[in-house]
This record gives sequence, C-alpha cells and structure tokens, in this order.
Amino acid sequence: MTAAVRVRSRRFGEPNPRVPHVVMAAGMLYFLVPLLWVLIAATKSQPDLLSSPALWFGRGFALFDNIGQLFREDDGIYGRWLVNTALYSGASAVGATVLAAFAGYGLARFSFWGKRFFETALLGMIMVPATALVLPTYLILSRLGIVNTVWAVILPSLLSPFGAYLVRVYVTESVPVELIDAARVDRASELRIFWQIVVPMIRPAIVTVFLFTLVATWNNYFLPLVMLSDADLYPLTVGLTTWFNTAQQEAGTRVLFNLVVTGALLAIVPLVIAFVLLQRFWRGGVGAGALK
Amino acid sequence: MLTAGCLLAVAACSGGDGASEGTGTDGKPAHVSVWAWYPEFKGVVDAFNASHTDVQIDWTNVGTGPDQYAKLKTAFTAGTGAPDVAMVEFQEIPTFVILEALVDMGQYGANDDKDLYAEWAWSQATDGEKVYAIPVDGGPMALMYRKDLFDRFQIPVPRTWAEYADAAVRIKAADPGAYIASFGSDGGWINGLMWQAGCRPYGYSRAAAKEKVKINLTSPECKKVFDLHGGLVEKGLMAKDPFFTADATAALDSGKYWTWAAAGWTPGYVAGSLKNTAGKWAVAPMPQWTAGADDQGDWGGSTFTVTKQAKNPKAATEVARELFGSSKAAWDVGLNKAFLYPLVKNVAADPAFTGKAYDFFAGQKVNEIFVPVSEKLGEFQYTPFQDFVFGDLNDRSAEAMAGSRSWGSVLEETQKNVVAYAQQQGFTVTQ
Amino acid sequence: MTRALPGTAPKAGGAPGRRTVERVPRRRSRGVTAHSLAGMLFVLPFFLVVVAFLVVPLGFALYLSFFTKSLVLGSRFSGLDGYLRAFTDPLLLDGFLRVLLFGVVQIPVMLGIALAGALALDAITTRFAMLYRLFAFMPYAVPAVIGALMWGFLYSRTFGPFSGVTSLFGGDPVDFFSGPLLLVSLGNVVTWAWTGYNTIVMHSALQGVPREMYEAAVIDGASPVQIALRVKVPAIRQAISLAAIFTVIGTMQFFTEPQIMARFAPQISAGYTPNLYAYNQAFAYSNFNYSATISFTLGFVVFVVAYAFVFVSRRRGARS
Repeated sequence: MTAAVRVRSRRFGEPNPRVPHVVMAAGMLYFLVPLLWVLIAATKSQPDLLSSPALWFGRGFALFDNIGQLFREDDGIYGRWLVNTALYSGASAVGATVLAAFAGYGLARFSFWGKRFFETALLGMIMVPATALVLPTYLILSRLGIVNTVWAVILPSLLSPFGAYLVRVYVTESVPVELIDAARVDRASELRIFWQIVVPMIRPAIVTVFLFTLVATWNNYFLPLVMLSDADLYPLTVGLTTWFNTAQQEAGTRVLFNLVVTGALLAIVPLVIAFVLLQRFWRGGVGAGALK
Repeated sequence: MLTAGCLLAVAACSGGDGASEGTGTDGKPAHVSVWAWYPEFKGVVDAFNASHTDVQIDWTNVGTGPDQYAKLKTAFTAGTGAPDVAMVEFQEIPTFVILEALVDMGQYGANDDKDLYAEWAWSQATDGEKVYAIPVDGGPMALMYRKDLFDRFQIPVPRTWAEYADAAVRIKAADPGAYIASFGSDGGWINGLMWQAGCRPYGYSRAAAKEKVKINLTSPECKKVFDLHGGLVEKGLMAKDPFFTADATAALDSGKYWTWAAAGWTPGYVAGSLKNTAGKWAVAPMPQWTAGADDQGDWGGSTFTVTKQAKNPKAATEVARELFGSSKAAWDVGLNKAFLYPLVKNVAADPAFTGKAYDFFAGQKVNEIFVPVSEKLGEFQYTPFQDFVFGDLNDRSAEAMAGSRSWGSVLEETQKNVVAYAQQQGFTVTQ
Repeated sequence: MTRALPGTAPKAGGAPGRRTVERVPRRRSRGVTAHSLAGMLFVLPFFLVVVAFLVVPLGFALYLSFFTKSLVLGSRFSGLDGYLRAFTDPLLLDGFLRVLLFGVVQIPVMLGIALAGALALDAITTRFAMLYRLFAFMPYAVPAVIGALMWGFLYSRTFGPFSGVTSLFGGDPVDFFSGPLLLVSLGNVVTWAWTGYNTIVMHSALQGVPREMYEAAVIDGASPVQIALRVKVPAIRQAISLAAIFTVIGTMQFFTEPQIMARFAPQISAGYTPNLYAYNQAFAYSNFNYSATISFTLGFVVFVVAYAFVFVSRRRGARS
C-alpha cells in the first residue's frame, strides 16, 4: 500500500480495516462470556446450575421462577436491597456531583486565600485509599450514633475529590472567562451565572461525575459491609454476599445459589441501562481528567 | 426477618438501642434483639414470641459466622450497635469473654440449667460459676461413607486410622479419579480431628488467670493427625478442595469423595443437596487411633450469649435460656427443618430423635451413632484468640497443600506464630 | 493547533482539548472580598465533606496508630512501636511483595490490552464502534463482589467452562485456585473488570487528538502502526499516565476480589494483601489500633508511589 492509497481511505492512519475488528471481537468475547454465563445461569434451577454445561441452557427454563422466588425469599428482602441500593447510589451521586461541580467551578474561576494549597491537596486526596478511611469513619460515626443508618453509607460517599478535580479541569478548558465577566457586568448573581451559563457548558463533566459516583456507590461493598448490620438496610452487594455465604452454610436446607446468580443479573441490569441511555454525555467527560 | 412495622418504628428494631425497656414495668413486653444465622430460625422466633407475653424477640441475621463476629467486634469497640443476644460458636466464647463483651448469666440463675446440657458443652460455655453462654447445638463426629461403593469393591469400613489409610489406597485403585475424602481447610474440622486424637492444645480460664494461656500444638497426639492426613494428601489419596463450596458438594455427589468425617448436623446439610447419591450413604463411628478405643471429637456447635450492651440483661438471659432450651416447639423446627444436633440431653435422648430413620442413609438411624459420641466427649478448651489460631493453622496447611511447606512443619510453625501472637497480646504462655 | 475559540463550548460528544491557556481572573480592582468570598462559598460544602470524611478519619487513624491495644493489658500509648512492628511484620511484608508482584505483571498487561483496544477502536468508524464501546464498558458496571463470585463459579472445576479444557487433551482439570495460578486467576478477574474502562478512557483521549497531527505523519509515509505508536500514543500519554496512577492506587488497595475468592481458595491467607490483612486485624482479631497502623502505612505508601509517579510523568511530559 502506498501512502497515497492510505490517504484515500476513510480516515488517516487506518490500517487494514479488518485488524481493528479482529482485536475488538476478541475483546468482546472476553468481556461478554462471563456476562453470558450469568444470563444463562439465571435461567437454571439449582440442580441444573450444578449439573448442566456452564455455557448452555439446562433442562428447564427457570428464569421467571427464579425471579419470582428471588423477590419472595426472606419476605421479599431482595426488593428492599434493590431500593436501598438505588437510594444510596442516587443520593450519593446527586450530592457528590453537586458538591464537585460547585467546588470544581470555584477552584477554576475564582481566586481566594488557600486556593493553591487546596488544589495541590486535591491531587493528594484522590490518592488516599478509600478503604483506609472506612474503619476510622466507622468509629467516629458510631460515636455520633449514626452507624447502621442510611446516613452512614450516604454521607461518606459524598466525598469525591476526583469529581471536583475533573470539573475543575473541564471548566478551565471549556468555560471562557470572558463569558463569565460579561455576565458579571450584567449584574447577574454568581449563583445565577453558575446555573445558567456554566452548568450547561460543563454538562458532560457533570454527567460523568454523576455516573462514576453512581457506579462507585452502587458497587461499593466495603463501606456498607462495615457500617450496616440490619439486613433491611443492606445494598445488593452486601445482601447477595450474605446469601452466598448462607447458601454454602445451608446447602441442605435452602436453595440459594440460583437466587444469588439471578440476583446478580438483576443487580447489573440497571447500571448497564444507565450507561446506554447516558452514553452521549459520559463519553465527553471520561477523557477530561488527564493530568495537567 | 423484620416486619414492615418494625421499619416504621426504627428505634425498636435497630440493635440494642431502645430495646428491652424492662420486663413489664409499663405493661408492655420487653423487646430483646437477637443476632443469629441458624437456618429456619424464623419458626423458632415465632414460637418464642407466641409463648411469651413479657418478652418479645426482634431477630436479625447479620451474616454467617465470621461476618457476624466482625460486626460484633466492631460494635464492642465502638461501644454501641451490638444486639442484646448473639449466637456465638463454642470456640469463640473465650474471645468474647476477654473482650469484656459477655454478661455472666449466672447472676440471673442460669446455673440452674447445668444438668440440662451435655457436660462438655456446659463446660465450654462456662468458666467456673460464670455462665457466658447457653448451649444450643453441637457436632459430634462420625464417618459418612459411600456404602454402595465400599460394598461393591469389598473395602472394609475402616475402624482405625490405619485401616482408613489402607482404604484410601484401595479406593484410588478402584477408581483413579476418586479420593477417600478431601482435606477441607476448615479450622473447626481439623480441630475436631485433633480433639478425637486426644490432642488438647489449648487451655484458658479467665476466672483463674486472665493472662495465662496454654498453647501446645506440637504434642504427639496433635502431630499424628497432620502426619496421617498430610501423608494422604501428599500421596494424592486425599483431595485438597475446601468444604462447603459448590465444587465440594458436586464432588460428594459425583463419587469423587467416598467418605467425609462429618458431624451431627451433617445429615441435614447433605440431605437436601446431594440428590444423585441419596440413599447410597451410611454412617459409621469415627476410625480410632487405637484399635478398640472409643475416642471422639466434635466439629462445630453454637450457643446464645447475652452481650454487655444489652439494656435488660435479665430479659435477655430469659431469651438465651428459653429460645431453644426445653421448648418443644423450637426443637421441632430445630430438629426437623434446620437439622441441628441438640445439646439438650433429653431432646437428644428422645426416641423421636435417636430412632429417626433417614432416607438419605437408606433408612439408617444415624443418631444412634451420634448421640453416644456426644455423651463420650470430654473436656476441650479454646484460646481467647481462636480466630487467629484457626486462621494461622489454615494458612499453614494451605501452604503445605500448595507444596511450599512440609506437612511436618505445619504445627510447629503455627505453634511459633501463635505463641508470638499471644505474647504480643500480653499473655504468659505455658506449654 | 485549532481549538475552540474562547466563547465556544466544546461539543457535547468530544473531549475538550487540553491546550487552552488557563486564566484565573485576578481582579483585585473590583471587590476582592466579594469575589473571593463567592469562590470560597462555592468550595465550602465540598471542603466540609473533605474535612469530615477525609481529614478527620485520617487524623483519627493516625491517633489510633500511636496506641497499642493488647487483650490482656488493654490500651496504652506506644508511639511509633506500631510502625516498627508493621515494617518488620513478615506477614505484612509478604502481602506487600505479593501485591507488588501482582501489580508489576497485571498493570502493564491490562493497560497494554486497553491501549491496543483504544487504538483499534479509534480506527473503526462504523456503527460497530458504539457497540464495542458499550460492551467494553459493561464489566465496569458489574460490582467487584459480583464479578468475583461470578468468576468463582466460572473457575469451578466441576461445572466451570474453562477448567475442563485440559481434559480434552487428557490432563487433569485445571485448578484455578491453587499454586502460582491463583494470582493469575485473581489478575484475570481484575483485568476483566477494568480493561474496558481504561480502553474507553484512552479512546476518549484519542478522539481529542487533532487530525492534523496524523496528516503530517501520513504525508511522511508512516505506516498505520508507526502512526499509532509515534503519534497517537505520545499524544495521549497523559491519559495513559492517569489510567496507570489510578490502577496503581486500586492495586495497592487490592481487597474485594481476594476476600470473596478466599471462600474458594484456602491459599488466600489472612495476610494475602496488605488491605486484607488490615481488615482481618480489625474485624477478625479486634486489633483496631494495629489495623489503623497498617491502613495508615498503606495509605502513605500509596500516596508516595502515586505522587512519585505523577512527578516523573510530569517531568517527562515537560521535557518532550
């Protein structure tokens, strides 16, 4: 192939058009096989689950039985876990996003005492291992008497240094100072400038922070594991792990493995839907956080 | 599980807080919060609540074994969040005692129950006159084996561990894909085997001397257990799969393992999950170290304790004593649905229990084997840091299974680590 | 280079370029206090959360780490003894080395695959690209707990689809949970969960690379592979660095996967990773003080490693 031919191809720097597809197809197989397993396994009854081939359907199609049983087991506690998870991750994501948007904008477009120090510290905050904070946070919250409540999960999840950092970078690059100055000349209040001018311009960053904190809380295991002891307050991750342990403990008296698998499937679906629906927005945001 | 009404009145249900405001002072029943993970426990709680007007139970399952202990330990460190009554396994009792977490129920008359329970269990639950726990269920050990396969290949059921080792060879010869059993990496199981071998590695009495603990894992009685089983693993005659995984269940049900040194609760555990091999199993007494001897061991078992955070320890003690105790309704659920092995002597001796024929064991009345085992069990003590001991023993055994350590050095290494840990915790260690 | 002019927002789909000059207004002439007060108020809520859930807990952990609590003697001040113990604790050091070994292999492998995926994705202009992106992202939406349970089933020797592969050739089924394979098995779970995420991040950065940069290379007669390696990869070096830093931070905290998989794999000991060790010290052995010491040490090491990484990559970035 000559350079001239290559230039004529649809995009510059494009190799043999089949190669990228082969690479991606191999990747897809790797990413999807385990998920396919969950999907198939959720259609199996417990005996089928333990005896039929892993990646093919069993003797019966028990998906709807499993789902029905899933929502009946332990007086329908799975439904509560689902609601709890949605509540925790929704509240944390909204709260963390608002805080991060305010802070990111404040750091990017204002100057005040201590700002430089705080910006430098922000990078450090991103690097503090979250799990190192859980235990001391538990001991503090227990003194305040709010462990084993929804607040014990939601409040610590509001912390998103990376979110603030990402918004700061995004504002710096996409919100012109001149625009804000013009609005100030028009005597618009700072809050109004933020809501009406800045927020629409940084929407991709906001959606990205929202989705990332949503996923982080939805998937969080360690924090609720430590904070909660009332099964009615569990999120899905902790609840399903409890069931899994119980399934091992009580193999003879309760049928749970199929419920764990079906429950896992239903726990994944809402997030996948959220990602599909919001794809337009988050794609713009994920690349924004590169270190400056 | 907690009911919807409980959710509305959160205070009444969250562990400890607002619970148990005094028996009948204002005419309302005292509420006692309970953490337990027994299967089918709801029926037991319902039975208690139906038969008591002065005390009512709010039950929560916060997780199985270690998960629940982790929550208890954090709650005791934090000073709040523990339930009034907690299910605790025997080996954990001294740990919670030294953490100052348990109420001495002796002051509320619990010593009256002494004769109700198997002697070994009562001795593990108490420290002199101090009653820290009320026994519920136990795990006297016996050998579960595939009768059909032993018969077909004319392998005699082992009566001694030497015969057991011979049987292991013959099983491998009969079916190269089969093993006599698996070395399960379960602290309680290995402990049961050591107990049966006459190994008494630990000694602790909070009442006698808080800082003194005995640790002697390297006695010949202890070592012979690891020599035998480690040898079988090394020769490929014993598998290395952990117990209680779906893999282990499948292996038991597919003829991969021909025996399992199991416990009194095992019939219930296996009956529901081993569908293919139901009716092909039988139970025999444990192989003996000395021919003709009658030495026994225990694997597992649990109790109810009253925590120091209980608002009304008297009502909580009532719950701990009477949840199972002599309650016929509770044991009905416990024996027939949850398949617990009862430590209440007259429940275990009841012909309804001893005479029960199990389809899974082709009609064999297996409790006729388990009950005498429980009666034969003697004294066995634990350390006040048994999690560490079991954890280290498991980790070192895993190293031996992975080939990075010799089986002969497992107990020595654990002994070394445990002694170092104990001294670091301020104990004076005796051998 | 052409960049969005001041006053035009980047289009929603594209990443903003990173070359706009940062201009923080310094208008001391007009109401210094009002301006800085507004800025502070914007940052204040976040600041409060940082203090409450980051500074205070870290301080408390530090405080706890200066005490030793033993079962017999109770709690007493011990200064730096805990740290001395941590740095000489063979179990902790073992776990640390294991995680280091894990990271040295797993991180480059994962980021390499992710980069290859991002470059491949960048070369695809059909509608497939969207589909690929979506599928690649899916494992990220699976909670680590569920991912670990799922792989636990998939690795199963009796009914998992993979272990039987060797028996096709007459061998024994593979035991994914034993020997040196265990660390590989764990690495695969992590790689599965995070490769797609990193692919998307890098791809997103690639989309922000101006096309003009390729044009020049194409005219110079560079092959697609050369363009990828010499133009595209250097252009997104910062995105790669960022992905690497976050992976390093995540790896140092390795916890959920080994904790869940320990149920299948007895070889996963109490000190398999430093974070697991900290967890067990606190929740199994009630040594909250020592656990805080380990957590603090771990946090400090992560902090230093990550900062050093940032420093080095910035220096290198500045030089080129």
